[in-house]
Amino acid sequence: MVSFLLQIITMSAPLILMAMAGYMSERSGVINIGLEGKMLAGCFICAAAGAHFGAVGGLAFAILACIALSLLHWSLTQMYRIDHIISGMAVNLLASGFTGFMDSSGIWKTTLTDSQRLPLPMYYAIAVISPFLLFAMAGRTQFGLRHKSVGSDPDKARLLGIHPQRVRFSALIMTGVFAGLAGSLLVTETSGFTKEMTSGRGYIALAALILGGWRPIPATAACLLFGVAKAVQIRFSGTPIFNFDIPSEIWNMLPYIVTLLALAGLLGRNRTPAGLGKH
Amino acid sequence: MILAVSMQGISKQYGSVQALGNVTFEVEKGTIHALVGENGAGKTTLMRALYGAMQPDSGSITVNGQAAHFHDSRAAIDAGIGMVSQHYGIIGELTNLDNLVLGAEGGPVLMKGSMEQRANELAASMGFEFDWAAESSTLSPAGGQKLEILKLLWRNSQIMILDEPTAMLSPQDSDALYESLKQLAANGATVIVVTHRIAEVFEHCRRVTVLRGGVKVADHDVADVKPEQLAEEIVGGTVIERPVPVSNERSNIRLRIDALSVRGSKGETAVKGIDLQVKSGQLVGIAGVDGNGQRELFHALIGVSKPMSGSFSFDGNQWDTEPGSTRILEGLRVIPEDRHDEGVIEEWSLYDNSALGLQRLPVFRRLTSAMKSEAPVMAEMFKTKHGNLSDSMGSLSGGNQQRFVAGRALRIDPQMILAFQPARGLDLNSTTKVYQEIRKACDEGACAIVVSFDLDELLDFCDRIVVMCHGHLSEPKPEEARDRAAIGRLMVGAE
Repeated sequence: MVSFLLQIITMSAPLILMAMAGYMSERSGVINIGLEGKMLAGCFICAAAGAHFGAVGGLAFAILACIALSLLHWSLTQMYRIDHIISGMAVNLLASGFTGFMDSSGIWKTTLTDSQRLPLPMYYAIAVISPFLLFAMAGRTQFGLRHKSVGSDPDKARLLGIHPQRVRFSALIMTGVFAGLAGSLLVTETSGFTKEMTSGRGYIALAALILGGWRPIPATAACLLFGVAKAVQIRFSGTPIFNFDIPSEIWNMLPYIVTLLALAGLLGRNRTPAGLGKH
Repeated sequence: MILAVSMQGISKQYGSVQALGNVTFEVEKGTIHALVGENGAGKTTLMRALYGAMQPDSGSITVNGQAAHFHDSRAAIDAGIGMVSQHYGIIGELTNLDNLVLGAEGGPVLMKGSMEQRANELAASMGFEFDWAAESSTLSPAGGQKLEILKLLWRNSQIMILDEPTAMLSPQDSDALYESLKQLAANGATVIVVTHRIAEVFEHCRRVTVLRGGVKVADHDVADVKPEQLAEEIVGGTVIERPVPVSNERSNIRLRIDALSVRGSKGETAVKGIDLQVKSGQLVGIAGVDGNGQRELFHALIGVSKPMSGSFSFDGNQWDTEPGSTRILEGLRVIPEDRHDEGVIEEWSLYDNSALGLQRLPVFRRLTSAMKSEAPVMAEMFKTKHGNLSDSMGSLSGGNQQRFVAGRALRIDPQMILAFQPARGLDLNSTTKVYQEIRKACDEGACAIVVSFDLDELLDFCDRIVVMCHGHLSEPKPEEARDRAAIGRLMVGAE
């Protein structure tokens, strides 16, 4: 039972951090399908920098790299007014291509020894606390209110003397921080970087965010739901149920089916920030 | 006389268009000052300059005797200027309290307790009441307008700009709004009201400035000027008279709506079992505050949405089961609410747009040659200003697109005319002409339903006025059929 609960946490924590990264971006009105790429870059940089500079250096560089990618997305969408989806795809392709190339070239070592990793419980603690912190930020602070307002209606916010671009700049820095944490966590859970190791977690986190109606705590609940499905898959895959062998492919599908069903159940209930993708 | 605002020689050019030309605008402290003019006269542009939302090419602005250079709205707000824009600055997704304090939160951490206390004090000083935790999307237009005023007070604005504040309000709510404004002015605030309603100027304002084509035409004490003179200054020539509308109604009922209910976009019942019969020759105006089911009723009649229950027929044809295309063949003509989304395709030429929606009519059987002959007539009907007819519709201004759309709806044998805010973006005389053409079609036996949020416009042109409120349709008593106050009461559901 304890191992099952641990499994849930292991599976959910990176998603939660990623969903928070998505929250900061999307609730401010910046569509961010580039989460996947940022997370992947975070994984790679954490592994590469960790192997060279040690545990803290790995995390620090991973966060910096993700902030850089995040601000690239900010400048493309906010300064050059490029379509948010296209810019997000560009970030994904950039990250995928760069990490794939660097990995197969073998220029940098990307396997980590134990001393080159930060303790996992630290990451888990951050994943548990941050949704509540963001919830408090949204409801209790000036930044939270302005963050929400530019995501709802940038034009009206502008007339009240708020600068949507500036608010989004800060928001996307936060996105980078969370993505860096999520990537580092994923690498820390394994022995090092492997190609495309995020395997769609950025997209799943985005789905969880949508499922949670762009609110931090419900989005976290959605991440946990996915984590449960994943843990069930790991626990029961290969075990016959009622003397019936379920193929592992079906088990592998489970988390995605759960996500799909949950999303479908939400159709018609629209909580999309009205200013998503607007300038 | 102390001047709160003095704008000297303000000019602004957008591309080849001179939006403002050397405009001088002065407002005395503690008064309600009206800024009037037609659509596109530059009223809003001038106010945006004062509010820092637009930087003029030349000219100087002085506020309370001090030279002001506003690079953005923040600077203007800090100088005590507040603006309520035409499309309301209230964000529906936020709570009322959030909207009140947004941009002036008073510190990095929100002190909800003390905020709510001050909010209640301000509301009490104006005689308003608010549920601060409720989402603002639930506010009525009048409630939104009140919240806007509190927003100005929250920011300690001493100079308040209100852009068409009564456009969405019932007559009673408009009067209440002006009472609030008078109270504020009496306490030393300066109020600038941008409006196109002359009656409001004479009832409530001290001074009036007239803009036309981006140029200041006149400045008056309201006491020194007559409404007719003001109207002529606004239009820049003679104003087409608007005689009391007379109906040539005949006995035969053409449109018959029975117990019609229509679902709204949020799944609610937006139109609740309405009955209406329109006779040949009638021009019926539907009065009401925006969002009371007018849009959904129109969509059902046009065929964009399916009714939940009930039926309607035209000349005995069961329209609710017929496709929209058949309704058009049988004489349905529409001036839609949103010309961009529903009226034209902006990438298409004026030629192509002339057949849009009417392409099944026999006239357009030989499509290309018919478009060549019809487009110029449609454009000419309301003097659409356009370049080449093969230019894209998008090259026309909003008002000119509206002229073309109105011309298209009325050109080819209209039998049932549905017009949603047909005067949107039009000047005074063009509005009159559009209604005159609708009237002419009705005199020839057609019938028409017009939705407008401007009750005075409906009173000017319609021979019968019905009211929609919360999805219900009601009709004033015969002796009150043209009574502004009585209709206004129906609009807010007070009877």
